Amino acid sequence: MHGIRLATLVMAALFGVAGALFLGQGTARAADSAFSKADQQCLGCHSAKGLEKELTNGETLSLHVDGSAFAQSVHNMIGCAVCHADITIENHPPLKTKIASIRENSLALTKVCRSCHADIFKRYEASIHAVLLREGNPIAPVCTDCHDPHSVRHNAARESIAQVPCRKCHASIFDAYAASVHGKARSKPGQKNSAPLCADCHRAHDVRPPSVGNQVKNACLSCHKNTAAAHETWLPNTKQHLETVSCPACHSPGAKRKVDLRLYNVAEKRPVSEKEGVPLFENRARSVDAKGNGLDAMALRSLLRDFNREGAPGKTILVGRLEVRTGVEAHELADKTKAVRNCDSCHREGADPFQSVTVSIIGPDGRPMRYGAHKEVLNSVTTVESMGGFYAIGGTRIKLLDMLVVLALLIGVGVPVIHLTFGWLSRRYAKRIGGREDS
Amino acid sequence: MPRIYVHPLPVRIWHWINALGFVTMIITGFQIRYIGLIDLLSFRTAVVVHNWIGFVLIGNFFVWLLFYLFTDKITVYHPDLSPTRQFRRSFRQMWYYGYGIFKGEPNPHHISVYHKFNAMQGMTYQVIMLLLVPLQFYTGVLLWDVNRFSGMIDVVGGVRVVDTAHVLIFIFFVGFIFVHPYLASLGHTRSAHFKAMITGYEEVEEAPGPNPQK
Repeated sequence: MHGIRLATLVMAALFGVAGALFLGQGTARAADSAFSKADQQCLGCHSAKGLEKELTNGETLSLHVDGSAFAQSVHNMIGCAVCHADITIENHPPLKTKIASIRENSLALTKVCRSCHADIFKRYEASIHAVLLREGNPIAPVCTDCHDPHSVRHNAARESIAQVPCRKCHASIFDAYAASVHGKARSKPGQKNSAPLCADCHRAHDVRPPSVGNQVKNACLSCHKNTAAAHETWLPNTKQHLETVSCPACHSPGAKRKVDLRLYNVAEKRPVSEKEGVPLFENRARSVDAKGNGLDAMALRSLLRDFNREGAPGKTILVGRLEVRTGVEAHELADKTKAVRNCDSCHREGADPFQSVTVSIIGPDGRPMRYGAHKEVLNSVTTVESMGGFYAIGGTRIKLLDMLVVLALLIGVGVPVIHLTFGWLSRRYAKRIGGREDS
Repeated sequence: MPRIYVHPLPVRIWHWINALGFVTMIITGFQIRYIGLIDLLSFRTAVVVHNWIGFVLIGNFFVWLLFYLFTDKITVYHPDLSPTRQFRRSFRQMWYYGYGIFKGEPNPHHISVYHKFNAMQGMTYQVIMLLLVPLQFYTGVLLWDVNRFSGMIDVVGGVRVVDTAHVLIFIFFVGFIFVHPYLASLGHTRSAHFKAMITGYEEVEEAPGPNPQK
C-alpha cells in the first residue's frame, strides 16, 4: 500500500511537471482553454511528436495527440479519461498492460466507442464491414480505422474528398469517384455540398453490399428527384428501365456491362437468400454444371427446377438486372450529357451487356453469391419460362423465333410466287393444248 | 355485271385503317426486333410509332366489333353448324385455290350480302379477329408498360413469355400480310376485290340470289 501511494505521488508530480511544461508550450496555446487540468496533464506528454510505444508484435503505436486538433474535435468535451478509463496513474508508464498489435488495440477501442455510440454501433453491426470483421477479415474496418478519435469532428469526413477514410481501403474506387462528375463537382472550392461523398450513397455505418437492394439507387434518386420525369420524356417503359437497369449502366458511359440473373421468390416478393450453413446455391449450381464452365440453358432450367421442388417456399424465378462489371466502373459517373441514350446499345443482337451473364443469390452474409452462365441462355427458347423475368427486345431475342420469322417470310412470299407460277404454267399448258386442238 | 353491296362503310373504314396499321406495325416490329439488320427508323422512333399505331388499332378493333355486334351483318362470320358441311366446303375451297383455279373452274363460293366469306375465310377470320388480334393487343399493351402491368405479366409467366407470345402472333401476321392481298387478287379480275373494298360493291358473275351453298 505504501509503495502504491508513493508511486501515485511520483506520478502526480510527473503529471504536474508535464502539465506545466504543456502550458508553457506555444503551439498548443490556442486550445488551452478547452482542456481540463487533467487533460492538460495528459497532453503535457502526449502532445510531444514522436511519442510511441512498441507493441508485442513489433509494431509501433503512436501515442502522439495533436492538442490543437483534439481541441477542435467533438471528443474535446469529454476529455481523455472517459475513453482511457483503463489508464490510471498506477498503471501508466511504465505500462504493465501489454498490447499485442495495433489491430488488437483498435478492436479493444471499439468497445469504448460502443459505450457512447451504441446506436451507431448497432447500425455498424448490420453492415458489410461488420460481416467481414466477424468472418475474421484482418482489415475489416472498425471505428478507429475510419475515425481518429483525437481529431474527430462532426461531419469532418464530408468536408473535402481528401479526408474520406474510405479511400484507405477502396483506393481504386475512390480514384474513379474523384475523376467522376460527382468527385469533380465536390472538389470545386465552395462546392462541398454540391455532390455526394461516399457515405452519402453508401451510408457511413450501415454500409450494405451495393449491388443488393435499392440502397444506392435510392441514394441517386434522393438527389436526382426528377429522374423519372426526365427519363419519361424520351425513354419508353421508363419505370421498367429504372428498375432493371442500374444507374451506372448508362451513366458510366465507358463501363462494360453485364446481366445478373437473380433468384427471386415471387410469393415473398424478395430475392432468394441462402441460409447460414446450408450452401444450396453453390451445390446445386455445381451439380447441374457438369463441365464446370458455367450454366447453359438446360442447366439453368435444372437449377430453377431444383429451387422449385415440392415443398419449396413459393415459386422461384430469375429476375434480370443490367449492371456494370466492376465497382470502379460504377463510380465512373459522367455528366448526364454523356450518358448512354442510344437504345440500340442494348436493344441489338450482340450488344455489350449481353456478353457476360451471372446467376446470383443473396448469401448468408448479405453479399451476392454469383455463378457464371453462358451468354446463350439469354437467347434460348429453353429459358422462356425459367428466365421469364428478363427480356430486352432485340438484345436477348430467341433464335428459334428468328427462324420462324424467316419461315413466315418464305411462306408469305413463296405461296403467291408458287401459285402465280402454277397459274402461268397452267395457262401456257392450256394454250398449247388449245393450239393443238385448233390445228 | 351485277353488283351487290357487301362492304358497308364502317367495315371499309375499319379494313383500310387496319391494313395500313398492320403494315406499319409489322415494319416497326421488324425495326424494333432487328435493329442493326434493318435501319429504316431509330429504335426509339420505331417503338413510339409502334405504340401509337397499336392504340389506334385497338380503337379501330372496336369499330369492327361494335358494327358487327349491333347489326345483322354479324351473320357473315357465323360458321356452319354442321362440322361435316363446314369441313367439306373448306376442303372444296382449298381444292379450288390449289387446283381448280388453274383449270379455270368456277369459285365454289358465291358472294351474297350475308355470306360474303367462303367457309375457309370465315373460319380463319374468326380465329384472327376473336383470338389472335385481341391476344396481340393484350400482349402489346402489357409490353407497352411492363411496370404498370407487372402483376398480369407475372401471372402469365413473366415478360419473356409475354414477348414470345407477341412475337409468335407477329410471325403469323408477317405471313398473313403477304398471303391475304394475294388471295384478294384471285377474284374474277386481279383488282375486283380491292375495288370492292373501296366502293363497297362486289361484282358477281351471276345475279345475286339466295346463297347457292345453303
